[in-house]
Amino acid sequence: MAYTTFNRNINDQLKEPMFFGNAVNVSRYDQQKYPIFEKLIEKQLSFFWRPEEIDVSKDRIDFQQLPEHEKHIFISNLKYQTLLDSVQGRSPNVALLPIVSIPELETWIETWAFSETIHSRSYTHIIRNISAEPHKIFDDIMLNERILERAVDVTRYYDDLIDGINLYQRCGEGTHQINGKTEQITLRELKKRLYLCLMSVNVLEAIRFYVSFACSFAFAERELMEGNAKIIRLIARDEALHLTGTQHMLNILASGDDDPEMAEIAKECEEESYAIFMRAAEQEKDWAAYLFKDGSMIGLNKDILCQYVEFITNSRMQAVGLKPRFATTQNPIPWINTWLVSDNVQVAPQESEISSYLVGQIDNEVDTADFGDFDL
Amino acid sequence: MPQVRINGEVVVNFDGSSPNLLQFLEQQQQTVNYQCREGFCGACRCKLLSGQVSYLQEPLAFVRRGEFLPCCSIPKTDIELEIPK
Ligand code: FES
Ligand SMILES: [Fe+2]
Ligand SMILES: [Fe+2]
Repeated sequence: MAYTTFNRNINDQLKEPMFFGNAVNVSRYDQQKYPIFEKLIEKQLSFFWRPEEIDVSKDRIDFQQLPEHEKHIFISNLKYQTLLDSVQGRSPNVALLPIVSIPELETWIETWAFSETIHSRSYTHIIRNISAEPHKIFDDIMLNERILERAVDVTRYYDDLIDGINLYQRCGEGTHQINGKTEQITLRELKKRLYLCLMSVNVLEAIRFYVSFACSFAFAERELMEGNAKIIRLIARDEALHLTGTQHMLNILASGDDDPEMAEIAKECEEESYAIFMRAAEQEKDWAAYLFKDGSMIGLNKDILCQYVEFITNSRMQAVGLKPRFATTQNPIPWINTWLVSDNVQVAPQESEISSYLVGQIDNEVDTADFGDFDL
Repeated sequence: MPQVRINGEVVVNFDGSSPNLLQFLEQQQQTVNYQCREGFCGACRCKLLSGQVSYLQEPLAFVRRGEFLPCCSIPKTDIELEIPK
């Protein structure tokens, strides 16, 4: 099944599965199999922001006055986030667009990945401001062992999926001789790689960012690096939406309503899904240890951060139908939630007016009466 | 005035002084996880054991049968809810 950018088959898009059906032809939203994805698109668009809108000039002075071990915490987190958003800015497009089969989901994927490119650009905005030699910080991302270690797990499920799709779309199911090597692919195997890839993306967006978010907000609680914290809040708001998108995909797949075979695959992948979550949690705890190797920061230390990783991992696992595996049931840093509330997010005054105006517009269209029978 | 039973114990009237069930639960000194408070992150998910809620905004977060999002809903009938531990 070779990919085509405009599939000539006249198909009923409402009958296509989310993935591995006919490639999308007409981008139309007058009829939708899963309207939730268009709602996510609208929400993401209402969140639109630009890094340049946020004044980070005071951060430069703050940064110069930070003790060395806090500089290490701050810079290391930015490097790690830069890696994560580099991956997220391209991989949903490269991996998922060739296999998606419904237009509203295709457009959600593109909207999602686009917002990640804003995150990437914001790191340059932050780093240029605090350092006269931003290239040194960026160059180190490709050399830093701690970051590269993480990159392996962050990217392997994407790469496995992309590799499988290339083979399948070029040669079809079966065993093939490619450049003297024997390669094998089945559609079922591809579906499995898709499911695990989505699980791993969910973990990336739902857990891997949060150690870093916590540190940014802990600085801001002390009124330090507040420009950075404003940007991180906007990123965190976007990420909460992205992970809702992935949770919807995973839950729809696991239900089998979309593709009965996917329900079987979800069951088969359960142990590996647990492993993906647990491995990420362990890696994030190691990361916390690396951050605080030369000293903690006020309000946060390695143990508290590790408990937070456990707490958040539990709650993310439950969201995709897995059982929590850690004993931690309480959020050890409840103050972080006030930084994660959506309507406290402010950009420049005129900009925040614009954004609330946009949100208001969308809200106005949906009268509460429309949800009168939105009962459980 | 709908009654709200929390974790099988406390019963309180939802008298309309809180705009949504999340704030209502917080007023009862209950700890509920939250993030967005706008229905799109799913952090506040609770179990709805009986009764019905009405959503003030359509929830974007994934909600399983038997669950609801207190941050964007109010009780429509008497309800029994459970806050996940
Ligand atoms: S707090 Fe985000 S959905 Fe309720
Ligand atoms: Fe991002
Ligand atoms: Fe993201």
